[in-house]
Amino acid sequence: MLWKIAWRNIWRNKRRSLIVLTSIIVGLVAIVLYDSLSVGMIYQMLENQIGSYVAHIQIHKNGFNDNRIIQNYVPSPHKVDSLLQKEKFVKAYSKRVLSFGILSSATNSSGVYLVGIRPEMESRVTKIHTYITEGTYLTGKSHEIVIGKNLADKLKVGIGDKVVAMASSLHGNIGAEVFRVVGIYQSFSSQFDKIYIYVNLHDAQNMLELEDNISEFALLLENSELSQNVKNRLSTQLGEEYEVLTFQELLPMLVLQIDVYKESIFIFYAIIAIAMIFGIVNTMLMSVFERIQEFGVLMAIGMKNSRVFFMVLLEALILGTVGTIVGFILGYLIYIPLSHTGIDFAMFSEGLKAFGVGTVIYPVLTLQSVVSALLVIPFISVIGAIYPAIKAIRLEPINAIRYV
Amino acid sequence: MEIVRTEQVEKIYQDNGVPVHALKGITLSISRGEFTVIAGPSGSGKTTLLNLIGALDKPTSGKVFIEGEDIAQKSRNELGALRLHKIGFVFQAYNLIPVLSAMENIEFTMMLLGIEEKERRERALSIMEELGIAELANKRPNEMSGGQQQRVAVARAIVTNPAMVLADEPTANLDSATGSSLMDLMERLNLEKGTTFIFSSHDPLVMERGRRLIHLRDGKIIDDKMVSEAAKNTE
Repeated sequence: MLWKIAWRNIWRNKRRSLIVLTSIIVGLVAIVLYDSLSVGMIYQMLENQIGSYVAHIQIHKNGFNDNRIIQNYVPSPHKVDSLLQKEKFVKAYSKRVLSFGILSSATNSSGVYLVGIRPEMESRVTKIHTYITEGTYLTGKSHEIVIGKNLADKLKVGIGDKVVAMASSLHGNIGAEVFRVVGIYQSFSSQFDKIYIYVNLHDAQNMLELEDNISEFALLLENSELSQNVKNRLSTQLGEEYEVLTFQELLPMLVLQIDVYKESIFIFYAIIAIAMIFGIVNTMLMSVFERIQEFGVLMAIGMKNSRVFFMVLLEALILGTVGTIVGFILGYLIYIPLSHTGIDFAMFSEGLKAFGVGTVIYPVLTLQSVVSALLVIPFISVIGAIYPAIKAIRLEPINAIRYV
Repeated sequence: MEIVRTEQVEKIYQDNGVPVHALKGITLSISRGEFTVIAGPSGSGKTTLLNLIGALDKPTSGKVFIEGEDIAQKSRNELGALRLHKIGFVFQAYNLIPVLSAMENIEFTMMLLGIEEKERRERALSIMEELGIAELANKRPNEMSGGQQQRVAVARAIVTNPAMVLADEPTANLDSATGSSLMDLMERLNLEKGTTFIFSSHDPLVMERGRRLIHLRDGKIIDDKMVSEAAKNTE
């Protein structure tokens, strides 16, 4: 019966309740959209990093990640190959040769990170082949090179033009090779496009005097959440000569950013909550003051203080819950189409590219966001009703009954 | 059997910082089954006395016993429980819960007592039929007349079979025909069920029905007499 009374009391002053409900609904829609957009942006940054280069796991010679020199090649690629073929959670893997170097055209030169790949293997692990905007992806023929748009602009080269790559070889010589630009790509990140150049694996091996050796194995797993398990297993099997790194270890700043976001979203929740709590306190106080005589009667006929207190909290809880449900449904209805089409931030594209995010951001609503969004307002409503509820139970029935 | 006893009760309250001596040494005893009217002009202290008898207030000095229990010794919550279990209230302004129907208002005190919904319904229906207000069951207070609301208030007060029902100026907001009809109802309940009624009123309509009349003036009892049916008829 208390629920019934609380529910009906809410609708005694429809306009006031609707105003509070509207503020809750707007707040919740803002929470759902802001949270899902922020999570979507971070996930996209992570997905972009994983999908363009990093992959879920990388295997190197121990120490390579701290000292990326060509001499730190994988000790036994065959051993790693045979292990990966048996590992059930590995969806695909790619072998890479990596080296810092210089890429020069007739007019300019630039510092680059040379990546030697087997085009087919790489295309199963990363999306670089999908980023090609001019020309083609590597076909496996000698002396092909794919470079980023920003680098091509800097070097003033186009499809078919020759460029010279130089890098320190295994034996300390300057390895140099002439390549012909077959493709120009444009990824999510302008920084990435300036640095990363792709050549065929055997060209890189020849240029760097590496023979059949490689610098890195990049693994794509069935699911990113398996990375720690697979890493542990591979580390044990490969031993100390190798380093097996997950994307979390390879992208510490991004992972830190996600962690910081998870904490900072609560600041956003707190701001919304503080804005809302005053509305709730005000509404509930008015509601209590309008019903002083009624509270007096309830207490006179024997309603316990705890029940009166609970009844006031219940009204706020119902108000908060109704607002939350409606607001969440509304937010979710806006979220569903946006999660498919994404939101185009083309006007901020340069800024977003600097952050490693595409121009279209797809909002992502996580379970944590849903739970937080559903709990925060009802919780805040109850907190906001405590002071009015205390006011109600402090009334003296004898005075309250006579209150006009 | 004694239900209420007061011993040398004094009540002083502050009115804008000025002490007002509302009751001055009231000693009385009310027994089960009485139909008592506390009468007197405005400011005589009748409502103050009724509030003390109803455990809504505590005396400044002296003692008030309800079924032998000294209310001064009880906490706020204990007084609430005492009122819930032993006292039914009928207020001048009816004071039904506006968001509940007549039936739900009657059920409310039973809900506070922890009575199951099924039993609550049965008892509420039964009392409404007995009081002739069954057709009001689903009406909210704002859909009822003053007389109907006060009947529902009476039903709410007696449905838990309290030791006594206190009615503060129950007819003050009613026209004389409705007030008379309401008094008929309470008189019938007193006679048929033995429910103890204590009224505070200066309405002749109420005073003439009382079988015991306690007259107050300036916070003191100036007259306390049993009124026989014969005497009433003579009047």
